[in-house]
Amino acid sequence: MSDPWKECMDHCIAVTKEAGKMIREALKKDIPIMQKSSPVDLVTETDQKVEALIISSIKERYPTHSFIGEESVAAGAPSILTDNPTWIIDPIDGTTNFVHRFPFVSVSIGFTVNKEIEFGVVYSCIEEKMYTARKGKGAFCNGVPIKVSGQEDITKSLVLTEMGLKKDPEHFKAVMSNMQKILTIPVHGIRSPGSAAVNMCLVACGSADAYYHIGIHCWDMAGGAAIVTEAGGVIMDITGGPFDLMSRRLITASSRAIAEHIAQQLQEFPCGRDDAVN
Amino acid sequence: MADPWQGAMDHAVAVARKAGEIIRDALQNDMKIMCKSSSVDLVTKTDQQVEQFIFDSVREKFPTHSFIGEESVAAGQPCTLTDNPTWIIDPVDGTTNFVHGFPFVAVSIGFAVKKELEFGVVYSSLEDKMYTGRRGKGAYCNGLPLQVSDQTDISQCIVNSEMGSNRDPEVVDRIFSTMRKILCIPVHGLRGVGTAAVNMGLVASGAVEAYFEIGIHCWDIAAGAVIVTEAGGVVMDVDGGPFDLMSRRVLAANNKTIATRIVKEIDAFPAERDDAPKQEKQ
Repeated sequence: MSDPWKECMDHCIAVTKEAGKMIREALKKDIPIMQKSSPVDLVTETDQKVEALIISSIKERYPTHSFIGEESVAAGAPSILTDNPTWIIDPIDGTTNFVHRFPFVSVSIGFTVNKEIEFGVVYSCIEEKMYTARKGKGAFCNGVPIKVSGQEDITKSLVLTEMGLKKDPEHFKAVMSNMQKILTIPVHGIRSPGSAAVNMCLVACGSADAYYHIGIHCWDMAGGAAIVTEAGGVIMDITGGPFDLMSRRLITASSRAIAEHIAQQLQEFPCGRDDAVN
Repeated sequence: MADPWQGAMDHAVAVARKAGEIIRDALQNDMKIMCKSSSVDLVTKTDQQVEQFIFDSVREKFPTHSFIGEESVAAGQPCTLTDNPTWIIDPVDGTTNFVHGFPFVAVSIGFAVKKELEFGVVYSSLEDKMYTGRRGKGAYCNGLPLQVSDQTDISQCIVNSEMGSNRDPEVVDRIFSTMRKILCIPVHGLRGVGTAAVNMGLVASGAVEAYFEIGIHCWDIAAGAVIVTEAGGVVMDVDGGPFDLMSRRVLAANNKTIATRIVKEIDAFPAERDDAPKQEKQ
Protein backbone atom coordinates (compact mmCIF):
# COMPACT_ATOMS: atom_id res chain seq x y z
CA MET A 1 0.00 0.00 0.00
CA SER A 2 1.48 3.34 -0.90
CA ASP A 3 2.30 5.86 1.80
CA PRO A 4 -0.39 8.59 1.92
CA TRP A 5 2.03 11.12 3.41
CA LYS A 6 5.14 10.39 1.33
CA GLU A 7 4.52 13.29 -1.01
CA CYS A 8 4.08 15.64 1.94
CA MET A 9 7.32 14.46 3.42
CA ASP A 10 9.21 14.90 0.14
CA HIS A 11 7.81 18.43 -0.13
CA CYS A 12 8.81 19.07 3.46
CA ILE A 13 12.40 18.02 2.81
CA ALA A 14 12.62 20.17 -0.32
CA VAL A 15 11.28 23.31 1.39
CA THR A 16 13.49 22.68 4.43
CA LYS A 17 16.55 22.63 2.17
CA GLU A 18 15.48 26.00 0.71
CA ALA A 19 15.05 27.35 4.21
CA GLY A 20 18.50 26.16 5.18
CA LYS A 21 20.01 27.93 2.19
CA MET A 22 18.25 31.15 3.22
CA ILE A 23 19.72 30.83 6.70
CA ARG A 24 23.24 30.24 5.40
CA GLU A 25 22.92 33.30 3.14
CA ALA A 26 21.77 35.41 6.05
CA LEU A 27 24.80 34.30 8.06
CA LYS A 28 27.05 36.03 5.55
CA LYS A 29 25.57 39.41 6.45
CA ASP A 30 24.93 41.45 9.58
CA ILE A 31 22.03 40.18 11.63
CA PRO A 32 19.80 42.78 13.32
CA ILE A 33 18.22 41.32 16.44
CA MET A 34 14.80 41.93 17.95
CA GLN A 35 13.53 40.71 21.28
CA LYS A 36 10.39 38.79 22.13
CA SER A 37 9.44 38.11 25.72
CA SER A 38 12.74 39.33 27.21
CA PRO A 39 16.25 40.59 26.32
CA VAL A 40 17.37 37.01 25.87
CA ASP A 41 14.40 35.74 23.84
CA LEU A 42 15.69 36.67 20.42
CA VAL A 43 14.14 36.75 16.99
CA THR A 44 15.43 38.04 13.68
CA GLU A 45 13.98 38.95 10.29
CA THR A 46 15.35 35.64 9.03
CA ASP A 47 13.18 33.66 11.51
CA GLN A 48 10.14 35.48 10.13
CA LYS A 49 11.18 35.20 6.44
CA VAL A 50 11.96 31.50 6.73
CA GLU A 51 8.64 30.75 8.40
CA ALA A 52 6.81 32.73 5.71
CA LEU A 53 8.67 30.81 2.98
CA ILE A 54 7.78 27.44 4.49
CA ILE A 55 4.14 28.22 5.19
CA SER A 56 3.46 29.80 1.79
CA SER A 57 5.14 26.90 -0.01
CA ILE A 58 3.07 24.35 1.88
CA LYS A 59 -0.21 26.35 1.69
CA GLU A 60 0.13 26.49 -2.08
CA ARG A 61 0.35 22.72 -2.32
CA TYR A 62 -1.85 21.72 0.64
CA PRO A 63 -4.37 24.52 1.13
CA THR A 64 -6.52 22.59 3.62
CA HIS A 65 -3.68 21.78 6.04
CA SER A 66 -3.16 23.58 9.36
CA PHE A 67 -0.06 25.25 10.74
CA ILE A 68 1.53 25.93 14.10
CA GLY A 69 4.61 28.09 13.53
CA GLU A 70 6.72 29.77 16.18
CA GLU A 71 6.65 33.25 14.66
CA SER A 72 2.95 33.07 13.69
CA VAL A 73 2.10 32.13 17.28
CA ALA A 74 4.28 34.99 18.51
CA ALA A 75 2.20 37.24 16.23
CA GLY A 76 -1.05 35.98 17.79
CA ALA A 77 -2.06 32.86 15.84
CA PRO A 78 -3.54 30.06 17.98
CA SER A 79 -1.43 27.10 19.04
CA ILE A 80 -4.06 24.35 19.30
CA LEU A 81 -3.45 20.91 17.80
CA THR A 82 -6.47 19.47 15.99
CA ASP A 83 -6.99 16.20 14.07
CA ASN A 84 -6.42 18.05 10.79
CA PRO A 85 -3.09 17.44 9.04
CA THR A 86 -0.86 19.98 10.79
CA TRP A 87 2.63 21.28 10.12
CA ILE A 88 4.46 22.29 13.31
CA ILE A 89 7.33 24.56 12.37
CA ASP A 90 10.33 26.15 14.01
CA PRO A 91 11.94 28.18 11.21
CA ILE A 92 15.17 28.73 13.17
CA ASP A 93 15.71 26.56 16.19
CA GLY A 94 18.73 28.07 17.95
CA THR A 95 18.20 31.76 17.14
CA THR A 96 20.74 32.75 19.80
CA ASN A 97 23.27 30.45 18.11
CA PHE A 98 22.31 31.92 14.71
CA VAL A 99 22.91 35.46 15.93
CA HIS A 100 26.35 34.47 17.24
CA ARG A 101 27.21 32.11 14.38
CA PHE A 102 27.59 29.29 16.91
CA PRO A 103 27.45 26.07 14.89
CA PHE A 104 24.02 24.54 15.82
CA VAL A 105 21.14 26.16 13.95
CA SER A 106 18.28 24.09 12.56
CA VAL A 107 14.98 24.17 10.71
CA SER A 108 12.51 21.85 12.42
CA ILE A 109 9.24 20.55 10.95
CA GLY A 110 6.93 17.94 12.47
CA PHE A 111 3.79 16.74 10.70
CA THR A 112 0.78 15.39 12.59
CA VAL A 113 -2.50 13.77 11.55
CA ASN A 114 -5.19 13.00 14.15
CA LYS A 115 -2.75 14.53 16.65
CA GLU A 116 -0.19 11.79 15.94
CA ILE A 117 3.26 12.59 14.56
CA GLU A 118 3.59 11.05 11.08
CA PHE A 119 7.04 12.36 10.11
CA GLY A 120 9.76 14.72 11.27
CA VAL A 121 12.47 16.67 9.46
CA VAL A 122 15.31 18.54 11.15
CA TYR A 123 17.92 20.30 9.02
CA SER A 124 21.03 21.32 10.95
CA CYS A 125 21.89 23.79 8.26
CA ILE A 126 25.41 24.97 9.17
CA GLU A 127 26.57 21.37 9.42
CA GLU A 128 24.39 20.50 6.38
CA LYS A 129 22.93 17.47 8.14
CA MET A 130 19.39 16.55 7.07
CA TYR A 131 17.71 14.31 9.66
CA THR A 132 14.45 12.64 8.64
CA ALA A 133 12.07 10.02 9.98
CA ARG A 134 8.79 8.56 8.79
CA LYS A 135 6.67 6.67 11.35
CA GLY A 136 7.46 2.96 11.04
CA LYS A 137 10.23 3.49 8.46
CA GLY A 138 13.36 4.34 10.45
CA ALA A 139 15.45 7.47 10.95
CA PHE A 140 18.19 8.84 8.70
CA CYS A 141 20.88 11.49 8.54
CA ASN A 142 21.78 12.52 4.98
CA GLY A 143 20.23 9.27 3.81
CA VAL A 144 22.28 7.05 6.15
CA PRO A 145 20.30 5.11 8.82
CA ILE A 146 20.90 6.29 12.39
CA LYS A 147 20.43 4.53 15.69
CA VAL A 148 20.53 5.58 19.33
CA SER A 149 23.50 4.46 21.42
CA GLY A 150 21.49 1.85 23.34
CA GLN A 151 23.24 2.91 26.55
CA GLU A 152 21.35 1.72 29.66
CA ASP A 153 23.84 2.71 32.35
CA ILE A 154 23.22 6.29 33.48
CA THR A 155 26.76 6.56 34.90
CA LYS A 156 28.18 6.08 31.42
CA SER A 157 25.89 8.56 29.72
CA LEU A 158 26.33 11.96 28.11
CA VAL A 159 23.29 14.13 28.80
CA LEU A 160 22.10 17.25 26.98
CA THR A 161 20.00 20.04 28.37
CA GLU A 162 19.63 23.80 28.02
CA MET A 163 19.36 26.64 30.44
CA GLY A 164 16.35 28.23 28.76
CA LEU A 165 15.29 31.77 28.16
CA LYS A 166 13.40 32.99 31.22
CA LYS A 167 15.83 34.81 33.40
CA ASP A 168 14.06 35.08 36.77
CA PRO A 169 16.23 33.76 39.63
CA GLU A 170 13.64 31.28 40.99
CA HIS A 171 13.29 29.63 37.60
CA PHE A 172 17.03 29.36 37.33
CA LYS A 173 17.36 27.87 40.79
CA ALA A 174 15.19 24.95 39.70
CA VAL A 175 16.98 24.54 36.36
CA MET A 176 20.43 24.56 37.98
CA SER A 177 19.34 22.27 40.81
CA ASN A 178 18.14 19.71 38.28
CA MET A 179 21.41 19.95 36.34
CA GLN A 180 23.45 19.54 39.48
CA LYS A 181 21.49 16.44 40.52
CA ILE A 182 21.98 14.86 37.10
CA LEU A 183 25.70 15.72 36.97
CA THR A 184 26.37 14.18 40.36
CA ILE A 185 24.63 10.86 39.68
CA PRO A 186 27.39 10.92 38.21
CA VAL A 187 27.01 11.04 34.46
CA HIS A 188 29.94 11.33 32.04
CA GLY A 189 29.02 14.91 31.29
CA ILE A 190 26.38 17.48 30.42
CA ARG A 191 26.45 19.52 27.19
CA SER A 192 24.32 22.44 25.95
CA PRO A 193 24.52 22.81 22.15
CA GLY A 194 21.71 25.42 22.06
CA SER A 195 19.07 23.90 19.73
CA ALA A 196 16.40 21.49 21.01
CA ALA A 197 15.87 19.91 17.59
CA VAL A 198 19.60 19.29 17.13
CA ASN A 199 19.79 17.89 20.66
CA MET A 200 17.13 15.33 19.81
CA CYS A 201 19.03 14.36 16.67
CA LEU A 202 22.26 13.97 18.64
CA VAL A 203 20.44 11.45 20.84
CA ALA A 204 18.96 9.78 17.74
CA CYS A 205 22.36 9.23 16.15
CA GLY A 206 24.03 8.02 19.36
CA SER A 207 26.30 11.03 20.00
CA ALA A 208 24.49 11.66 23.27
CA ASP A 209 22.40 9.38 25.45
CA ALA A 210 19.67 11.69 26.70
CA TYR A 211 18.18 15.16 26.37
CA TYR A 212 15.73 16.65 28.83
CA HIS A 213 14.16 20.09 28.93
CA ILE A 214 11.40 21.91 30.77
CA GLY A 215 10.14 25.05 29.03
CA ILE A 216 10.53 24.44 25.29
CA HIS A 217 7.67 24.48 22.79
CA CYS A 218 5.84 22.03 20.53
CA TRP A 219 7.60 23.44 17.45
CA ASP A 220 10.99 22.63 19.06
CA MET A 221 10.06 19.00 19.70
CA ALA A 222 7.73 17.91 16.89
CA GLY A 223 10.44 17.40 14.25
CA GLY A 224 12.84 15.52 16.55
CA ALA A 225 10.26 13.32 18.26
CA ALA A 226 9.74 11.04 15.24
CA ILE A 227 13.49 10.99 14.56
CA VAL A 228 14.40 9.77 18.05
CA THR A 229 11.66 7.12 18.22
CA GLU A 230 12.41 5.82 14.75
CA ALA A 231 16.10 5.60 15.74
CA GLY A 232 15.12 3.23 18.55
CA GLY A 233 15.02 5.76 21.37
CA VAL A 234 12.31 6.65 23.87
CA ILE A 235 10.48 9.90 24.52
CA MET A 236 8.42 10.64 27.60
CA ASP A 237 7.18 13.32 29.95
CA ILE A 238 9.58 14.48 32.67
CA THR A 239 7.46 12.66 35.24
CA GLY A 240 7.97 9.37 33.38
CA GLY A 241 4.44 9.46 31.95
CA PRO A 242 3.59 9.56 28.23
CA PHE A 243 5.05 12.33 26.04
CA ASP A 244 2.68 15.26 25.56
CA LEU A 245 3.58 17.48 22.60
CA MET A 246 1.87 20.55 24.09
CA SER A 247 3.26 20.16 27.61
CA ARG A 248 6.45 22.16 26.97
CA ARG A 249 8.60 19.43 28.49
CA LEU A 250 10.29 16.17 27.55
CA ILE A 251 12.88 13.53 28.25
CA THR A 252 14.27 11.68 25.28
CA ALA A 253 16.89 8.95 25.66
CA SER A 254 18.69 5.98 24.20
CA SER A 255 16.80 3.63 26.55
CA ARG A 256 13.87 3.51 28.97
CA ALA A 257 16.32 2.82 31.81
CA ILE A 258 18.17 6.10 31.24
CA ALA A 259 14.99 8.11 30.69
CA GLU A 260 13.38 6.80 33.87
CA HIS A 261 16.50 7.43 35.91
CA ILE A 262 16.51 11.04 34.77
CA ALA A 263 12.77 11.36 35.44
CA GLN A 264 13.37 10.28 39.04
CA GLN A 265 15.92 13.07 39.55
CA LEU A 266 14.00 15.93 38.00
CA GLN A 267 12.07 18.41 40.04
CA GLU A 268 9.09 19.84 38.16
CA PHE A 269 8.40 23.52 37.94
CA PRO A 270 5.53 25.23 36.11
CA CYS A 271 6.15 26.16 32.49
CA GLY A 272 2.63 26.62 31.05
CA ARG A 273 1.23 24.67 28.09
CA ASP A 274 1.40 25.58 24.40
CA ASP A 275 -2.38 25.01 24.06
CA ALA A 276 -3.33 26.95 27.19
CA VAL A 277 -6.23 29.32 26.53
CA ASN A 278 -5.26 32.86 27.52
CA MET B 1 64.12 37.84 8.85
CA ALA B 2 63.22 34.15 8.68
CA ASP B 3 60.97 32.82 11.44
CA PRO B 4 63.11 30.46 13.58
CA TRP B 5 60.05 28.45 14.57
CA GLN B 6 58.27 28.21 11.21
CA GLY B 7 59.60 24.69 10.64
CA ALA B 8 58.38 23.56 14.03
CA MET B 9 54.96 25.07 13.44
CA ASP B 10 54.59 23.49 10.00
CA HIS B 11 55.50 20.17 11.58
CA ALA B 12 52.93 20.69 14.35
CA VAL B 13 50.18 21.30 11.78
CA ALA B 14 51.14 18.23 9.76
CA VAL B 15 51.34 15.97 12.80
CA ALA B 16 48.07 17.32 14.25
CA ARG B 17 46.31 16.58 10.96
CA LYS B 18 47.65 13.04 10.90
CA ALA B 19 46.68 12.57 14.56
CA GLY B 20 43.17 13.71 13.67
CA GLU B 21 42.99 10.95 11.06
CA ILE B 22 43.95 8.40 13.71
CA ILE B 23 41.13 9.73 15.90
CA ARG B 24 38.55 9.57 13.09
CA ASP B 25 39.59 5.99 12.27
CA ALA B 26 39.36 4.96 15.90
CA LEU B 27 35.77 6.23 16.05
CA GLN B 28 34.79 3.58 13.53
CA ASN B 29 35.89 0.79 15.88
CA ASP B 30 34.87 -0.34 19.34
CA MET B 31 36.51 1.62 22.07
CA LYS B 32 37.91 0.36 25.34
CA ILE B 33 37.50 3.04 27.95
CA MET B 34 39.67 3.32 31.05
CA CYS B 35 39.40 5.71 33.96
CA LYS B 36 42.08 7.92 35.46
CA SER B 37 41.40 9.82 38.66
CA SER B 38 37.67 8.90 38.80
CA SER B 39 34.86 7.17 36.92
CA VAL B 40 34.26 10.31 34.85
CA ASP B 41 37.92 11.10 34.06
CA LEU B 42 38.27 8.98 30.94
CA VAL B 43 41.18 7.87 28.81
CA THR B 44 41.40 5.46 25.90
CA LYS B 45 44.12 3.64 23.99
CA THR B 46 43.69 6.26 21.27
CA ASP B 47 44.75 9.04 23.66
CA GLN B 48 47.94 7.07 24.40
CA GLN B 49 48.57 6.05 20.78
CA VAL B 50 48.13 9.57 19.46
CA GLU B 51 50.43 11.07 22.07
CA GLN B 52 53.10 8.46 21.29
CA PHE B 53 52.73 9.15 17.59
CA ILE B 54 53.17 12.91 18.09
CA PHE B 55 56.15 12.50 20.43
CA ASP B 56 57.94 10.07 18.10
CA SER B 57 57.34 12.27 15.08
CA VAL B 58 58.49 15.47 16.78
CA ARG B 59 61.45 13.85 18.57
CA GLU B 60 62.76 12.54 15.26
CA LYS B 61 62.86 16.06 13.81
CA PHE B 62 63.69 18.02 16.97
CA PRO B 63 65.66 15.66 19.24
CA THR B 64 66.74 18.33 21.73
CA HIS B 65 63.25 19.66 22.42
CA SER B 66 61.25 18.93 25.60
CA PHE B 67 57.73 17.58 25.95
CA ILE B 68 54.79 17.91 28.30
CA GLY B 69 52.06 15.50 27.26
CA GLU B 70 48.84 14.65 29.08
CA GLU B 71 49.28 10.88 29.00
CA SER B 72 53.01 10.94 29.80
CA VAL B 73 52.32 13.11 32.83
CA ALA B 74 49.57 10.68 33.85
CA ALA B 75 52.22 7.95 33.60
CA GLY B 76 54.55 9.82 35.96
CA GLN B 77 56.58 12.20 33.77
CA PRO B 78 57.28 15.61 35.32
CA CYS B 79 55.21 18.59 34.26
CA THR B 80 57.69 21.43 34.65
CA LEU B 81 58.16 24.13 32.03
CA THR B 82 61.82 25.08 31.43
CA ASP B 83 63.40 27.57 29.02
CA ASN B 84 64.07 24.76 26.54
CA PRO B 85 61.81 24.64 23.44
CA THR B 86 58.85 22.64 24.75
CA TRP B 87 55.89 20.96 23.05
CA ILE B 88 52.78 20.96 25.27
CA ILE B 89 50.40 18.32 23.96
CA ASP B 90 46.89 17.11 24.52
CA PRO B 91 46.54 14.20 22.09
CA VAL B 92 42.73 13.96 22.45
CA ASP B 93 41.11 16.99 24.06
CA GLY B 94 37.50 16.00 24.69
CA THR B 95 37.98 12.30 25.48
CA THR B 96 34.44 12.10 26.89
CA ASN B 97 33.14 13.48 23.59
CA PHE B 98 35.37 11.05 21.70
CA VAL B 99 34.00 8.09 23.65
CA HIS B 100 30.43 9.17 22.81
CA GLY B 101 31.00 10.36 19.27
CA PHE B 102 29.93 13.89 20.26
CA PRO B 103 31.17 16.15 17.47
CA PHE B 104 34.07 18.03 19.16
CA VAL B 105 37.38 16.21 19.59
CA ALA B 106 40.65 18.10 19.21
CA VAL B 107 44.40 17.59 19.01
CA SER B 108 46.04 20.48 20.85
CA ILE B 109 49.73 21.39 20.45
CA GLY B 110 51.27 24.44 22.10
CA PHE B 111 54.93 25.39 21.73
CA ALA B 112 56.90 27.45 24.25
CA VAL B 113 60.46 28.80 24.23
CA LYS B 114 61.94 30.45 27.37
CA LYS B 115 58.52 29.79 28.92
CA GLU B 116 56.82 32.04 26.37
CA LEU B 117 54.20 30.58 24.02
CA GLU B 118 55.36 30.91 20.41
CA PHE B 119 52.61 29.12 18.49
CA GLY B 120 49.50 27.03 18.97
CA VAL B 121 47.75 24.46 16.80
CA VAL B 122 44.29 23.05 17.55
CA TYR B 123 42.85 20.53 15.11
CA SER B 124 39.12 19.97 15.69
CA SER B 125 39.30 16.62 13.97
CA LEU B 126 35.63 15.73 13.48
CA GLU B 127 34.87 19.13 12.00
CA ASP B 128 38.15 19.15 10.00
CA LYS B 129 38.95 22.62 11.34
CA MET B 130 42.64 23.50 11.74
CA TYR B 131 43.06 26.50 14.07
CA THR B 132 46.56 28.04 14.21
CA GLY B 133 48.16 31.05 15.87
CA ARG B 134 51.76 32.29 15.61
CA ARG B 135 52.91 35.00 18.02
CA GLY B 136 52.85 38.32 16.18
CA LYS B 137 51.44 36.82 12.99
CA GLY B 138 47.72 36.38 13.55
CA ALA B 139 45.39 33.43 13.96
CA TYR B 140 43.68 31.36 11.27
CA CYS B 141 41.14 28.61 10.80
CA ASN B 142 41.55 26.54 7.63
CA GLY B 143 43.60 29.40 6.23
CA LEU B 144 41.01 32.13 6.92
CA PRO B 145 41.93 34.88 9.40
CA LEU B 146 40.27 34.70 12.82
CA GLN B 147 38.92 37.75 14.60
CA VAL B 148 37.22 37.83 18.02
CA SER B 149 33.74 39.33 18.41
CA ASP B 150 33.62 43.14 18.87
CA GLN B 151 30.88 42.91 21.51
CA THR B 152 31.37 45.10 24.61
CA ASP B 153 27.92 44.60 26.17
CA ILE B 154 27.94 41.57 28.46
CA SER B 155 24.19 41.10 28.09
CA GLN B 156 24.72 40.32 24.39
CA CYS B 157 27.37 37.65 24.98
CA ILE B 158 27.59 33.88 24.88
CA VAL B 159 29.96 32.51 27.52
CA ASN B 160 31.41 29.01 27.38
CA SER B 161 32.42 26.90 30.33
CA GLU B 162 32.48 23.24 31.38
CA MET B 163 31.49 21.23 34.42
CA GLY B 164 34.73 19.24 34.31
CA SER B 165 35.32 15.84 35.84
CA ASN B 166 35.57 16.78 39.52
CA ARG B 167 32.41 15.53 41.25
CA ASP B 168 33.42 16.64 44.76
CA PRO B 169 30.16 18.22 46.03
CA GLU B 170 31.86 21.43 47.23
CA VAL B 171 33.51 21.93 43.85
CA VAL B 172 30.27 21.19 42.00
CA ASP B 173 28.49 23.75 44.22
CA ARG B 174 31.01 26.44 43.27
CA ILE B 175 30.78 25.60 39.57
CA PHE B 176 27.00 25.85 39.62
CA SER B 177 27.04 29.01 41.72
CA THR B 178 29.24 30.68 39.09
CA MET B 179 27.05 29.43 36.24
CA ARG B 180 23.94 30.76 37.98
CA LYS B 181 25.50 34.18 38.53
CA ILE B 182 26.67 34.50 34.95
CA LEU B 183 23.31 33.44 33.50
CA CYS B 184 21.52 36.00 35.67
CA ILE B 185 23.66 38.96 34.53
CA PRO B 186 21.98 38.12 32.06
CA VAL B 187 24.02 36.86 29.12
CA HIS B 188 22.62 35.52 25.84
CA GLY B 189 23.58 32.01 26.87
CA LEU B 190 25.98 29.60 28.48
CA ARG B 191 27.37 26.86 26.25
CA GLY B 192 30.14 24.31 26.38
CA VAL B 193 31.28 21.94 23.64
CA GLY B 194 33.28 19.64 25.91
CA THR B 195 36.83 20.56 24.89
CA ALA B 196 38.84 23.51 26.21
CA ALA B 197 40.84 23.80 23.01
CA VAL B 198 37.75 24.08 20.78
CA ASN B 199 36.08 26.43 23.29
CA MET B 200 39.07 28.74 22.85
CA GLY B 201 38.85 28.34 19.05
CA LEU B 202 35.21 29.48 19.28
CA VAL B 203 36.28 32.62 21.21
CA ALA B 204 38.95 33.31 18.56
CA SER B 205 36.44 32.90 15.72
CA GLY B 206 33.89 35.22 17.36
CA ALA B 207 31.18 32.57 17.80
CA VAL B 208 31.30 33.11 21.56
CA GLU B 209 32.69 36.03 23.55
CA ALA B 210 34.35 34.21 26.43
CA TYR B 211 35.45 30.89 27.87
CA PHE B 212 36.60 30.23 31.40
CA GLU B 213 37.34 27.11 33.39
CA ILE B 214 39.04 26.03 36.62
CA GLY B 215 40.54 22.56 36.70
CA ILE B 216 41.86 22.24 33.16
CA HIS B 217 45.56 21.58 32.50
CA CYS B 218 48.36 23.36 30.68
CA TRP B 219 48.04 20.98 27.72
CA ASP B 220 44.37 21.95 27.28
CA ILE B 221 45.04 25.69 26.98
CA ALA B 222 48.59 26.26 25.73
CA ALA B 223 47.67 26.26 22.04
CA GLY B 224 44.33 28.05 22.49
CA ALA B 225 45.99 30.88 24.43
CA VAL B 226 48.08 31.89 21.41
CA ILE B 227 45.17 31.50 19.01
CA VAL B 228 42.87 33.74 21.10
CA THR B 229 45.51 36.46 21.62
CA GLU B 230 46.46 36.46 17.96
CA ALA B 231 42.77 36.79 17.02
CA GLY B 232 42.67 40.02 19.06
CA GLY B 233 41.37 38.59 22.32
CA VAL B 234 42.71 38.51 25.88
CA VAL B 235 43.74 35.61 28.10
CA MET B 236 44.03 36.06 31.86
CA ASP B 237 43.58 34.35 35.18
CA VAL B 238 40.02 33.88 36.49
CA ASP B 239 40.75 36.48 39.18
CA GLY B 240 41.70 39.09 36.58
CA GLY B 241 45.46 38.70 37.13
CA PRO B 242 47.96 37.62 34.47
CA PHE B 243 47.50 34.27 32.75
CA ASP B 244 49.56 31.47 34.35
CA LEU B 245 49.85 28.40 32.13
CA MET B 246 50.43 26.03 35.07
CA SER B 247 47.73 27.41 37.36
CA ARG B 248 44.90 25.13 36.12
CA ARG B 249 42.76 28.24 35.48
CA VAL B 250 41.96 30.28 32.40
CA LEU B 251 39.68 33.06 31.22
CA ALA B 252 39.80 33.83 27.50
CA ALA B 253 37.65 36.62 26.09
CA ASN B 254 37.17 38.92 23.12
CA ASN B 255 38.27 41.98 25.13
CA LYS B 256 39.17 43.22 28.61
CA THR B 257 35.72 44.77 29.22
CA ILE B 258 33.94 41.43 28.89
CA ALA B 259 36.71 39.54 30.69
CA THR B 260 36.72 41.78 33.76
CA ARG B 261 32.92 41.67 33.96
CA ILE B 262 33.02 37.87 34.06
CA VAL B 263 35.80 37.85 36.69
CA LYS B 264 33.33 39.45 39.12
CA GLU B 265 31.02 36.41 38.98
CA ILE B 266 33.52 33.57 39.20
CA ASP B 267 33.34 31.59 42.44
CA ALA B 268 36.84 30.09 42.39
CA PHE B 269 37.88 26.83 44.04
CA PRO B 270 41.37 25.39 44.59
CA ALA B 271 43.03 23.23 41.96
CA GLU B 272 46.55 21.88 42.42
CA ARG B 273 49.04 23.49 40.03
CA ASP B 274 50.32 21.41 37.10
CA ASP B 275 53.91 22.10 38.22
CA ALA B 276 53.33 21.24 41.89
CA PRO B 277 56.03 18.84 43.10
CA LYS B 278 54.70 15.29 43.02
CA GLN B 279 54.22 13.45 46.34
CA GLU B 280 57.11 11.08 47.12
CA LYS B 281 55.92 7.45 47.13
CA GLN B 282 56.15 6.01 50.71
